[in-house]
Amino acid sequence: MSHASQAARVRTGVRLLGTLLLLLATTLLLSDSSALKENAEPPVRIPSNVAWTGETLATISKGDAFRGLLLARRCNHCHGEEGFSAVPGFPNLAGEDRLSFWKQMQDFRFGKRTSPVMQGIAEGFSARAAADLAAYFAMLPTASDAQDNRVFPHAMTDPSRASMAIRLIVFGDGQRGIPPCQSCHGPVSYVKGAPPLGAQNGEYLEQQLEHFSNGNRANDINVRMRSIARQLTAEEKTAVSEYYGAGLGPGVTSR
Amino acid sequence: MRKKVGFAAAMTLLGLALLSTRYYMVDLPVWHFFGGGGGPDPVTLHLQGEFVESNLGAAEDPAGALTVRMIAQQFVFVPQCIVVPAGVPVRFRITSADAVHKLSFLGTNYGLEAVPGAVSEATFTFAKAGEFKIPCYEFCGAGHYAMRGQLEVVARDQFATLPPGERRSCEPR
Repeated sequence: MSHASQAARVRTGVRLLGTLLLLLATTLLLSDSSALKENAEPPVRIPSNVAWTGETLATISKGDAFRGLLLARRCNHCHGEEGFSAVPGFPNLAGEDRLSFWKQMQDFRFGKRTSPVMQGIAEGFSARAAADLAAYFAMLPTASDAQDNRVFPHAMTDPSRASMAIRLIVFGDGQRGIPPCQSCHGPVSYVKGAPPLGAQNGEYLEQQLEHFSNGNRANDINVRMRSIARQLTAEEKTAVSEYYGAGLGPGVTSR
Repeated sequence: MRKKVGFAAAMTLLGLALLSTRYYMVDLPVWHFFGGGGGPDPVTLHLQGEFVESNLGAAEDPAGALTVRMIAQQFVFVPQCIVVPAGVPVRFRITSADAVHKLSFLGTNYGLEAVPGAVSEATFTFAKAGEFKIPCYEFCGAGHYAMRGQLEVVARDQFATLPPGERRSCEPR
């Protein structure tokens, strides 16, 4: 081994060591500054990228139901040919409100609502494609007919909870600040982004109420649904969900 | 003739006086027409500005002054439950995401209107400790009568011992 090559090796070693030290120093500095920032201000949390501006509403209203019909072949396997899911833990999409559907697709797409299955699927749909799908699913009828083989209305496990459900759906609970379900989800009045629940699976609704109350799902604009769900007891969540899941919820289910 | 003109003028003035009491129907549009406003956009409150959800609730500035930021919307106040110390001026900053709402602190003389597109600000001092309900006092829609927040006034030294998360709001987590 020559003297020159040995010197070159030493130089490379020193350079490597220097780089490593520099990297270590930067990591330390960066971690230090982020810790300082955390003390100063809480991080800004954006629940959803969707806002009900005129542009958003225009995008959704341009949805083409026929294109949606073609795109919906990807959805049919889980959400059913007619928009009624065979698995009670998956949501029914028949008669789904356009705005709600579009918002959920965007939230899945941008990771604001988490789901191992839906996040991957929603990334494949553009804003326009989601609007097309929304137009298609909104068109699907929710009334049953002789030919369909849907499993939708599931009987309540405990029918004695019906009165509790009716009270919450129609009157809410003013003492605790729980507004009635029907004042946003219809048919009494509607709020943008609140889907109709009359044809929704009970098990899915119960899961979502649970997720809202423990913060696992936090994509509702201005903490609206989280504020309500965290006030409900476990029994009330079950009662309301099963009541809707039994097809007993009030009013029209598609608009 | 003069009497008639006087009568007409008086009636016009009376009409205007009556109309001017309809603040949200008359004064507010006029105010907006002449360039008033500039408040937060009610539909994008959650995207930017001081009313993003991580900034809601009570916040203390370095000098120790307390500011409570709230959103009123159909049909919940956010946060639904707030804690403030007794005997200390507390600044409230409130806006609405949809209709006009009104907070009315039951058991006190205080109330504050939440108007979409504007920030209402007021400083209140709650003399005695206790729990106060905050019902919505301005009809805002179908769920109006069940729209109710809660205010917990605690003693000043007790407030100082609360952990930071519970000082922001007293919502169950």
